[in-house]
Amino acid sequence: MKKIHIALIVLIAILLGVIISTVSESGTYVSFKTATEKPDRTYHIIGKVNLQKEFIYNPEKDANVFGFFMTDTIGTEKRVLYNGTKPQDFELAERIVVVGKMKGDDFIASQVLMKCPSKYNKTGEEEGGEWSNGSQRPQ
Amino acid sequence: MGIQYLNEHLMFGKIGNAFVVLSFTASIVAMLSYAFQVYRNEEESLSWNKLARFSFFIHACSVFGIISLLFYLIQSHYFEYYYVWQHSSTTLPEKYMWACLWEGQEGSFLIWTVWHVVLSILLVWKGKKWEAPTMMFIMMIQVFLASMLLGLQFGDIKIGSNPFILLRNHPDFANLPFIHLPDYLAKLKDGRGLNPLLQNYWMVIHPPTLFLGFAATAIPFAFAMGGLVTRQYREWVKPALPWTFFGIAILGIGILMGGAWAYEALSFGGFWAWDPVENASLVPWITLVGGAHVMLIYKKNGTSLFTAVMLLAVTFILVLYSTFLTRSGILGETSVHAFTNLGMTGQLLLYMLFFIVLTIVLLIVHRKAISNPTEDEALSSREFWMFMGMLVLLISAIQITFTTSIPVINKVFGLKMAPPVDAIDFYNSWQTPLAAIIALLIAVSQFFKWKQSDWKSVAKKLALSFIIALVVTIVFQISVGFARVQHIILFMTSLWAILANLDYLIRVLKGKFNFSGGSVAHIGIGLILLGALVSNAKKEIISENRLNVDLGKDFPNKENILLYQGDTLAMGEYYVTYKGKEKEGIHQYYEVEYLKANHNAGGFTKEFSLKPFIQLNERMGNVSEPATRHFLHKDIYTHVTYAEMDNKNQVDEKGYKEPKKHLLAVGDTIVVSNSLFVLLEIDKAVDKKANALNENDIALGLKLKVTDINKKDYFIEPLFIIRGNEKITVPAEIEKLGLKFDFTSIDTQANKFEVSLSEKKSNSRDFIIMKALIFPGINILWIGCVLMFVGTWIAIRKQISDLKREA
Repeated sequence: MKKIHIALIVLIAILLGVIISTVSESGTYVSFKTATEKPDRTYHIIGKVNLQKEFIYNPEKDANVFGFFMTDTIGTEKRVLYNGTKPQDFELAERIVVVGKMKGDDFIASQVLMKCPSKYNKTGEEEGGEWSNGSQRPQ
Repeated sequence: MGIQYLNEHLMFGKIGNAFVVLSFTASIVAMLSYAFQVYRNEEESLSWNKLARFSFFIHACSVFGIISLLFYLIQSHYFEYYYVWQHSSTTLPEKYMWACLWEGQEGSFLIWTVWHVVLSILLVWKGKKWEAPTMMFIMMIQVFLASMLLGLQFGDIKIGSNPFILLRNHPDFANLPFIHLPDYLAKLKDGRGLNPLLQNYWMVIHPPTLFLGFAATAIPFAFAMGGLVTRQYREWVKPALPWTFFGIAILGIGILMGGAWAYEALSFGGFWAWDPVENASLVPWITLVGGAHVMLIYKKNGTSLFTAVMLLAVTFILVLYSTFLTRSGILGETSVHAFTNLGMTGQLLLYMLFFIVLTIVLLIVHRKAISNPTEDEALSSREFWMFMGMLVLLISAIQITFTTSIPVINKVFGLKMAPPVDAIDFYNSWQTPLAAIIALLIAVSQFFKWKQSDWKSVAKKLALSFIIALVVTIVFQISVGFARVQHIILFMTSLWAILANLDYLIRVLKGKFNFSGGSVAHIGIGLILLGALVSNAKKEIISENRLNVDLGKDFPNKENILLYQGDTLAMGEYYVTYKGKEKEGIHQYYEVEYLKANHNAGGFTKEFSLKPFIQLNERMGNVSEPATRHFLHKDIYTHVTYAEMDNKNQVDEKGYKEPKKHLLAVGDTIVVSNSLFVLLEIDKAVDKKANALNENDIALGLKLKVTDINKKDYFIEPLFIIRGNEKITVPAEIEKLGLKFDFTSIDTQANKFEVSLSEKKSNSRDFIIMKALIFPGINILWIGCVLMFVGTWIAIRKQISDLKREA
């Protein structure tokens, strides 16, 4: 057996590791309902910000908690508490993705991804915006 | 007769469109002529070459024509052209005009095409017998790229997106009434402008460099494929090597420029965030580096040819894949800066699949001719360890690609996987050990001789650098220290890589400049790894908010801190003051002063001041940009993460802001900016005389105790009165605290009472929420970049001089 064959076998083994670890570490897009059922797991939730309800942000009390109400894709609304500052132009976000877990009746988010509208897009296409990162987690 | 529009400059668009069509057709003719030159006999090939060169000349002229015209249109602010309107504006500073050119997809395809043409000119001029076989493939690539600009619509199928489309013909505008007025241009006023996030000098230099790097990967690919079709299976490697190194140098610098941009201007909080778009350009670089090393093995040893061809093809296809990822909109939900979808997903996919199939077919047809001889490489040979290095690079590339491709995997298999929750940590946990192995191989490989070497002498030569690296690591670990074992290992191995290469340069090469390319570039890589490790792992958040109430493990992030104007807070070894803000154009600057305590005289001395800013842009949204103070050994990064923009809160004539409503039950306490108040009890027997009320009034009072920060108590009683059908409130005011309490409503069911509290505006001082980070040793990384670049250029020179010597 050539050494190259051994190397190839090791390579394939590591590749399997890559696939398995990625799949097992990968998040899942769910609704608030699923997240409520499994409060110990971290999920990605896509939804819309309820702009009718007031944002909760008292930087003078705590600069690192920003709260808002969000409706997921099937229509459940929950309060989201994001561990960070209020992202720039959060009011303009059309759709957002929050990453975190449920605690009681609140969703505790460690990351918030916003999709801002391209304001001149008259057709209102789905893809007509750019995503920007609202969260800067320490690495 | 249609509408006569005023002030349009349609001539340029017509010429532009002619160039677009011409560049496409000329690239087809050039590709076919070069193919005929390759496949036909000697005499005929000469006349094919003439036609090929002529059509390449036409193609080149058209491509330069398109880019010059488009630039001219942007310069002249001809907003009748959609591209100009979409990506530029009259208010944009001159220096960013180039950036408008490649902000959009069409422009970025264009700059890519231009670079292919520029590199092709070199191939035509210097390529000799390689001109036809390589140009045949380059022109094939150009056919696809030129088609991206065609902008033809056949029913649902769209071929390309034309940069010269008129605003009034664009689907977003065609149905708007004002667009059909003859003077619609006068109503348009200004273009949408360049995204403020991209108004940065990096936007001027980073994309063209990256695209030159992308274009450079096509050349070695064309050599490899050209070598196959002309059955010059072995000869292509040497002339392709300088191009491969050129691609490594340029693409590498392009990627790192992106990192520098992210570090300096974008608020990523670091130079690398494993963003899908960053990853998509890094992966082809990794495989190209792998390819170059295998080509070197082949040049010395005659083995691994198949692997070399495969890696160059993989690199080129990964470049196409990266274009597909960033431009098809498929990354949508996972990336910070993906392009928007222009409906060209199908075309991009076809482009990629075409080259995948072409490569596979050629590899299968010619597999026997390029397969390895059966002899095994010795464990003590340099080529064996280089090959291992290539495999580790391949694993790294696959891990990054696989994780980045989650949205694609979802699409293909109909899954709903999301990226890993902590993506950065996930990538780091894979890539750190892989980087450590690479560093180890960089350290040891060159001390092995080709074919076979004596283990003892290798060990002897490596001993010195190993011992130094070990001692430094131990000292560093004791004095500064890493928390994770993999960081200690990467520190040690990258340090060893640097020292071993330095040692090799001095003791083995004896400083011979021409041969130093590899060592210098490897020292560069070692420094990049070391700098990335130290600046990341030893990053320190000095703005940590220690005063906050601990919110528990659900809220671990405390890196943002509130700073009132004039207040001074301790951050790390500094004291930080927010001095105030000033507006300059569309930038709102915040002056943050860093002070040091003066122990002898008392008080503080100013060290430096930083001015992070928020760009105010009504159309695209506000963008905040950090400011960084650079030192030799560390950078201090300061970022305003939140600030109250202008004075949204209107004040009344007495200076009170909009009231805030609080619903309380008896006993509840509420905290406000300068005090707290408690609802003591409900006063049901309000003294009507003292309050000048009518006898028939129904009155309720709220007995409130307000305590200010000096623990001084105030007792007040706002009233709620029902007079007939009317509701009257009598607010209570505390002048001294600038507070006004109004009893506005009663919730009888919950037995709760609503207090509307107004505060004087003068109560709230201006503040910013900021974060400050220290990145130690980031300069090690930048020095590494320069050395990597310089080393690779020395290697290019060496390869070219080798070529000349043989010729």
